Amino acid sequence: MSRPAAPADAPVLTAERLSVRFGRHIALKDVSLSIPRGRIVSIIGPSGCGKTTLLRCFSRMNELVSGARTRGKVHFAGMDLYGPDIDPVEVRRRIGMVFQKTTPFPKSVFDNIAFGPRASGFTGDLQGLVEEALTDAGLWSEVADELDTPALELSAGQKQRLCIARTLALKPDVLLLDEPTSALDPEATARIESIIRALSPRYTIVIATYNRWQAARLSDMTAFLDRGELLEYGLTETLFTNPREARTESYLTGRTQ
Amino acid sequence: MMPRSVSGAGTASRAMGERLVAHGLLACTVVAVVALAAVLAVLVREAGLFFADVSPWRFLTEITWAPAAAEPRFGVLPLLVGTAQVAAGAAVFALPVGLMTAVYLHQYAGGRTARLLNGVTALMAGVPTVVYGLFALHFVTPTLRVLWPGIEAFNALSACMVVGLMILPTVTVLSREALESVPAPLLDAGLALGAPKGRVVTRVLLPAASGGVLAAVLIAMARAVGETMIVTLAAGNESRLTWSPFEGLQTLTAFLTQLGMGDAATGTREFQAFFAVGAVLFVGTYGIHMAGRMLVSRSVGRTGP
Repeated sequence: MSRPAAPADAPVLTAERLSVRFGRHIALKDVSLSIPRGRIVSIIGPSGCGKTTLLRCFSRMNELVSGARTRGKVHFAGMDLYGPDIDPVEVRRRIGMVFQKTTPFPKSVFDNIAFGPRASGFTGDLQGLVEEALTDAGLWSEVADELDTPALELSAGQKQRLCIARTLALKPDVLLLDEPTSALDPEATARIESIIRALSPRYTIVIATYNRWQAARLSDMTAFLDRGELLEYGLTETLFTNPREARTESYLTGRTQ
Repeated sequence: MMPRSVSGAGTASRAMGERLVAHGLLACTVVAVVALAAVLAVLVREAGLFFADVSPWRFLTEITWAPAAAEPRFGVLPLLVGTAQVAAGAAVFALPVGLMTAVYLHQYAGGRTARLLNGVTALMAGVPTVVYGLFALHFVTPTLRVLWPGIEAFNALSACMVVGLMILPTVTVLSREALESVPAPLLDAGLALGAPKGRVVTRVLLPAASGGVLAAVLIAMARAVGETMIVTLAAGNESRLTWSPFEGLQTLTAFLTQLGMGDAATGTREFQAFFAVGAVLFVGTYGIHMAGRMLVSRSVGRTGP
């Protein structure tokens, strides 16, 4: 896969009538949306609405789940991500994903960050790459002298920033964040949010979050999913102040229908 | 409508029934505790009489074990070495095969294949050890003698291989449990970093499960240390201090089978020696088992958030 060269705001990821089912359970139904380059896009919606499934579609992670079936198309910089000549391993290097549960490997801080580059055969300045990734994730000043420390000894907030740094070390085009602060305290959450802001517009960022206020604080655009369907997608300000759909309004105001 | 009563004969009889169940369960537990205490009491009493006569230092350091000789020698080292050799040799056979089977079942096998292999593993665990012993004597050793004509009819190699086969289900099942205890998001994270599955398995899954896998091996080795029939049939029952896998040997358990032959008169030092060896075996297997369990509990949480 060659690196795309496209202007800001041009769609970097486009889902076209995307449906996913796990066995008999339909997780996504005919979802179509475009993610503009260099923007922060939030995907919000109630628990089980398909936020994570949609995110995992973008990095071809769903196919690792037995019984998962994906239909429709995802275009990444003009290429069909699910095309027969596309290597999912390469896709995951270009479209990085950070998970809800912090997932430091039982290795040192350095080896955690170097894991992706080593797996992709990186032969350059690994030390420099690790430092850059940790700096971008706002962790370098805290671990610069402890790179050999087991990553499992870091605090919860540090672990999540380590996971972000680990993904950044691959220099992906898109960063997918699946509820990255759901297990963190308000202070650690604020820290991660400021890092996300700083990473944009160098990276296109897609966040799945159950926290609608986080979506309002962070994102340029917001998509509202409900029961696997994309009900509304647009500028965050518009969606929050003037939602088109009654179900979106109910969700945003906390009223149940 | 009248409110329902909260007391009465029904409540009292239910409480009595519950007390009966609790007492019945306690009685069952007491049977197990009393049995264990009785075993330990016999072991400690007879071993104590033995060690009053033979110093523990001599027992552990002398290199000849000949309790029935005209001039008896009580150096347990040949039995300890024989036991360690069989346990370690069995682990050498069982660890790679068991671990790789566990990885295959956990990560690669489809539902039908996994069910089939699980059935085979369960079947292997149910084979009586005397059958394994006969397999060692009548198939493995003759095959080994074709490959190495100089190998003795009773040899350690055959015992190690077949004891390894016997502990294979234990290593497989416990290793698989260790692999399953690694949180799935950890593997997802490795794959999401663009690492091929094989790399995630070797660099993330196995290191994360290493404590549990080591515990599996230790627990399986404890079984190998306690194994009697296979060792007696495959490695013979002749005490000698040797590390050669081509020669026969005697293990702690194999020696203990001689007690049943009734050659040693009750109350003699030879008779008490059996209990001294039994005490060593008990302490050894208990120690290995506890080390394994400790590793299991330590490995839990190593991969946590």
